[in-house]
Amino acid sequence: MERERSFWRRILEELRRMEEEFSRVEEEFLRLMKEAEERRGCITPLYNLYESGDEIILTADLPGASKDEIDLTAGEDYFRIEAPCRSPLRREEGRKYILHVRLPVAIDPESVRARYKEGVLEVVAKKKFTGYRIKVE
Amino acid sequence: MIRIVEVKPIDGRGFVILEGFPDVGLVGTIATSYLIDKLGLEEVGYIDAELLPPIISIRDERIKELIRIYSKENIIAIVSDIPIPPAMIKPMGHRLVSWAKEKDVRLILSLSGLPEPNRLDIDKPQIFVLGSRPEITEMLIKLNGVNKFKDGFIAGIKGIILREAARMGVDAAIILAQSHYNYPDPGAAGQLVSFLSKVLDIEVDIKPLLESAEELKLRLRDLMRRTDQMMQGIQKSRELELPPVYL
Repeated sequence: MERERSFWRRILEELRRMEEEFSRVEEEFLRLMKEAEERRGCITPLYNLYESGDEIILTADLPGASKDEIDLTAGEDYFRIEAPCRSPLRREEGRKYILHVRLPVAIDPESVRARYKEGVLEVVAKKKFTGYRIKVE
Repeated sequence: MIRIVEVKPIDGRGFVILEGFPDVGLVGTIATSYLIDKLGLEEVGYIDAELLPPIISIRDERIKELIRIYSKENIIAIVSDIPIPPAMIKPMGHRLVSWAKEKDVRLILSLSGLPEPNRLDIDKPQIFVLGSRPEITEMLIKLNGVNKFKDGFIAGIKGIILREAARMGVDAAIILAQSHYNYPDPGAAGQLVSFLSKVLDIEVDIKPLLESAEELKLRLRDLMRRTDQMMQGIQKSRELELPPVYL
């Protein structure tokens, strides 16, 4: 019984240690990102990348940008977004959004379409498929 | 150990508590902070706990508590400058509802966002409600324009408050507006405030909130990022799932 209890205690301690380590890595990531933003005067927007069926979807929160000023480029394995942030906030003045996202699979850059609504940019691309059709028996 | 400290005594009867801790789209946080400002609620206390990180918040050269309690007449509002640490959620939910019971509070309203993957296609986010007992849900449904939250999961402090309230016999409800998951969503908060004005029978203009949406989104970017991290730690993504059904 005592041995069992000490076994579980060790497991819990290990889990707690892993949680602390995980949170330390996240904290370091946030610090480096904020420092880079300050050094370069840019803003890393909040974003999400989804892989859905034969599409890749990227959304990014770009409040204070405008549709005509968003510079979006797409390669086979990346999206790059650059846009000035016209914000009334002093800290954000003259800053621009920059986001470069490497994609998990190749896309067809010609298939990319995008829209900007209420501060959120959505970019949708078709995945690029190369291969042979296999007959299922 | 969680302490609820009343710097100025909160006395009275029939209080409604508005809880706006950060989570999905920071909807509850934005809505509660807006109401605090527009209704002129006064800072009257704070919540402290060993599990809170050793941080102080400073605004206009003044030291602020991380989790603050505001009040005016029969409204109490609670907001936090940081996401509630996962380890603190259960004890905090329990303590808060016990405190509400001691105060003989009429209703606890937890305000939140309901993650909606197609939020970009929705111009007017819908409101969903769930009471600690069916009569509370029915009372809110009567106010029109809202839906019942029928099936799903609610993760985090708001779910725990609702469950503790149901267990302790305190009336409570969670009010959710369809929202972006991890982008601040002032539009969703605006809809929530509109509905709350009916619940509380008050008049609040949401136009200034919608007009300052872009600025708010920028100001709240860092809090949203940290809240997103916290949400990962409490399986918040389960809110996109349905509970299993065993025939």
